[in-house]
Amino acid sequence: MISETDTSVTSSEDLTTEEAALEIQDSHPAPEEVILINQYAQKVIDFSSQYGSDTSISYTAYNITGRPSKFPDYGDFPETFAMRTYGRWWDIAPSAMEELQPTNFHDIPIHDFIVVEFEEFVIPEAIAVYETYNPGAIVKIWAYFSTISTWKCLWYSFPDPYVEKRPRIFSPPLKKVALPTKIIRLEFNHIFLDYFTEIDGMVLTGRKCDVGEICDAAAMRKSKKGPILRKLESVQFKLRQIENHKDILKDFLANDLGNFMKEVGLVHEDEKEDNTPPQITLKDLPCEILFKILSYLDLVSIFRTAQVCKKLYDVATDPFLYQEINLKPYWHAVCDEMLTTLTKRATLLKKLDISWCGLFHSITPSVFREFVRCCCKNLTHLRMNSCKFINAFCMEVVGSVCVNLRELCLRNYSKSPSVLNFHCLKNLRFLERLDLFRTQIDSDLLLMTLRYNPGLKHLNLGICNSTVSMDDVAVHIARYNRSIVSIDMWKSHFLSSVGLLSLSQCHDLEEVDFGWCLREEASPGDSLRILLKGCPKLKKVFLAAIRGINDRDLENITEFCPNLEQLDLMGVLGITYDMCYKILSNCRKLKMLDLSFCDQIDEIQTALWRDVFRVSIKRNFVPPDHPFIT
Amino acid sequence: MCNKMMKWSDAISGVADGVGGWRSYGIDPGEFSSFLMKTCERLVNCASFNPQKPVSLLAYSYCELLEQKKPILGSSTACVLILNRENSTVYTANIGDSGFIVVRKGEIVHRSEEQQHYFNTPFQLSLPPPGHGDNVLSDSPDSADTLSFTVKDGDVILVATDGVFDNVPTKLLLDTLKEIEGEQDAVKLQMTANTIALMARSLAFDSEFMSPFAINARKNNINAIGGKPDDITVVLATVVL
Repeated sequence: MISETDTSVTSSEDLTTEEAALEIQDSHPAPEEVILINQYAQKVIDFSSQYGSDTSISYTAYNITGRPSKFPDYGDFPETFAMRTYGRWWDIAPSAMEELQPTNFHDIPIHDFIVVEFEEFVIPEAIAVYETYNPGAIVKIWAYFSTISTWKCLWYSFPDPYVEKRPRIFSPPLKKVALPTKIIRLEFNHIFLDYFTEIDGMVLTGRKCDVGEICDAAAMRKSKKGPILRKLESVQFKLRQIENHKDILKDFLANDLGNFMKEVGLVHEDEKEDNTPPQITLKDLPCEILFKILSYLDLVSIFRTAQVCKKLYDVATDPFLYQEINLKPYWHAVCDEMLTTLTKRATLLKKLDISWCGLFHSITPSVFREFVRCCCKNLTHLRMNSCKFINAFCMEVVGSVCVNLRELCLRNYSKSPSVLNFHCLKNLRFLERLDLFRTQIDSDLLLMTLRYNPGLKHLNLGICNSTVSMDDVAVHIARYNRSIVSIDMWKSHFLSSVGLLSLSQCHDLEEVDFGWCLREEASPGDSLRILLKGCPKLKKVFLAAIRGINDRDLENITEFCPNLEQLDLMGVLGITYDMCYKILSNCRKLKMLDLSFCDQIDEIQTALWRDVFRVSIKRNFVPPDHPFIT
Repeated sequence: MCNKMMKWSDAISGVADGVGGWRSYGIDPGEFSSFLMKTCERLVNCASFNPQKPVSLLAYSYCELLEQKKPILGSSTACVLILNRENSTVYTANIGDSGFIVVRKGEIVHRSEEQQHYFNTPFQLSLPPPGHGDNVLSDSPDSADTLSFTVKDGDVILVATDGVFDNVPTKLLLDTLKEIEGEQDAVKLQMTANTIALMARSLAFDSEFMSPFAINARKNNINAIGGKPDDITVVLATVVL
């Protein structure tokens, strides 16, 4: 919990209260004059996912700022921050993507993050997060210390599968770092979530400090010399090189090293029995075996292995081991130096995930461009989600070098549409997956990309900008991308029965997400029936908030969707008990059914169905005063 | 039941009057107007809020309706005023027959225009249930009437729903508001607001009274007499510069 002190507790809204001077003593806890301040989040700097559209304030990241508005109420409230996904449902969908270089993920896998800024620098004491729906997804908390330009992890834990469904103020014990921060990052793992998790606000509690003094102290520490350097200075040690020093060294290493080691006692004198087989060390193994062994290691360990000895250096820096690189789990450490090193090693690179890297200018665009030029000619998979360092020149080089891309993920580029210049996409011809969730893209460019990539299988245009018409997209797909497998049009615009009719010609479709679409139509009517009939392979159908859907439309699901595994009918007001029952009875492979905010269904029925049909039925939380929804 | 909301936050005030006809569809008319005003309040605290464009405040608030998981249906008039303290200017946006008057020295110096399609059918923001889109009047936030004007210290601003303007004759309103010009005591202001609301209520149920509503009805060839029972919301403010 937030520690209470005897002095002022202020919020970022009224930080004009007088505060006594604070004496900074490095590691000794300050005596009576400690002043702790509490602050609400002031601004969101970055995030990987949100439920609402970018122009909205409902279910969006904006709601984590300021005072909590709903806590201690519990429920699904638009005044909170919610993310787009939860649980494992997206991992088992046809559009699911495997992580690259899975060896990098021996730690807790992170699905989403949010970075918030507070008004004042403080030395962090506690962080409290107000969770108002399905708590328990926060697995790591980081803070950015600008005086040393580094992120430090203040807390982490594996996700807890047994969190009670009650509102809570989550305040785990933090690591002590005596440096000022005002930027906090929360990282989430959704794996045990039953439904969306929602956050109403957060509080950073810390000791107010003078950033200027900390900067000076840090600078002083850097310039301080240690005992060895000081000693060397006092004896005025000068390094002298004798001639042929390299040859003398080589000679010593080859001939005299063994004796030297024996004399010093580093090698045992004991003779071994002659009938034991001669020892084979790692270094004696052929390279192919060493490559195989090292391929089980994560990237950091491979780097470390290179430091062991010359032979292992040769093996561990061989491009063979750098064909698939995932830098996302190292987002906090990826910097220009690392990229420069990789530029030398990764010349056979085929798959790269550099998502989330480069926040606060840790990567320079020119270094990235050099890396792409040297290493990415044969790239087939590129994931660059939420990379803050990307600018128009970066995109240009990607477009001209990486012409063989089969997979391209460019999520969360919503702020700078034309500035980023996605025209590089026009060179691609072999795309099978294109992920533009929350990214602004020019409509003509998108349609052209569809035309040029007939092999496209997975397309994500969720929260696409309103200049792109989904009807146009659908018509194009029906004409040019018949082998499409999954389409995500969540919260996009201008989808109508025209679009649905077009998509009915794509018989390989296994997954469609039309959540919050079809706003202009009363009911999709016949077009939905024709689509479902034309796509018998459909496993996932999301129709959230399509208010016009009625029982007649849903009848088609029971008739034409034998392979259905996931069905989202959130907010579909017209659905009745009988139709639900029919769907559950006919779709024998159904695993998930979202009936939140379907007011004609009540809790008792759904509880019974969960047991009888073994389907995970989602319902919005209803407070105990109103046990039955009418 | 009350189906309007009043919001007073910093220097922003607004009223919204839910259209009662939705009751027969099983829709609570107060939900829509209530949501509209609550969302305006939330948007006001956003960094992107433009204090000189109350129309965009209404527009964004209206758009938020479409983003709710729990659908909010119905329709409502709306009137929003923003006082900019720096240049003593009031920016207003009005859709429908709610409205405001600004009183100075016992006279009305500014007032809103009533927006009606035809008699007793005001302009309204609406979100009909799916399938009823064609039968329902739905005006865009862009059709709001916008006015901006400067105010002086001591001015009285009254924002109210049509329940007030239809029942209380202008002279009676002016006499009441004259008393509190320049008044800074919140309690006195509250009492005056109560008075106006009470007046409107009593007159509404007076079946012999020639109310402003009745006068207007007769102009439209409708033989009406007496007050008009309706929901009443009053927001009262004085300008202090």
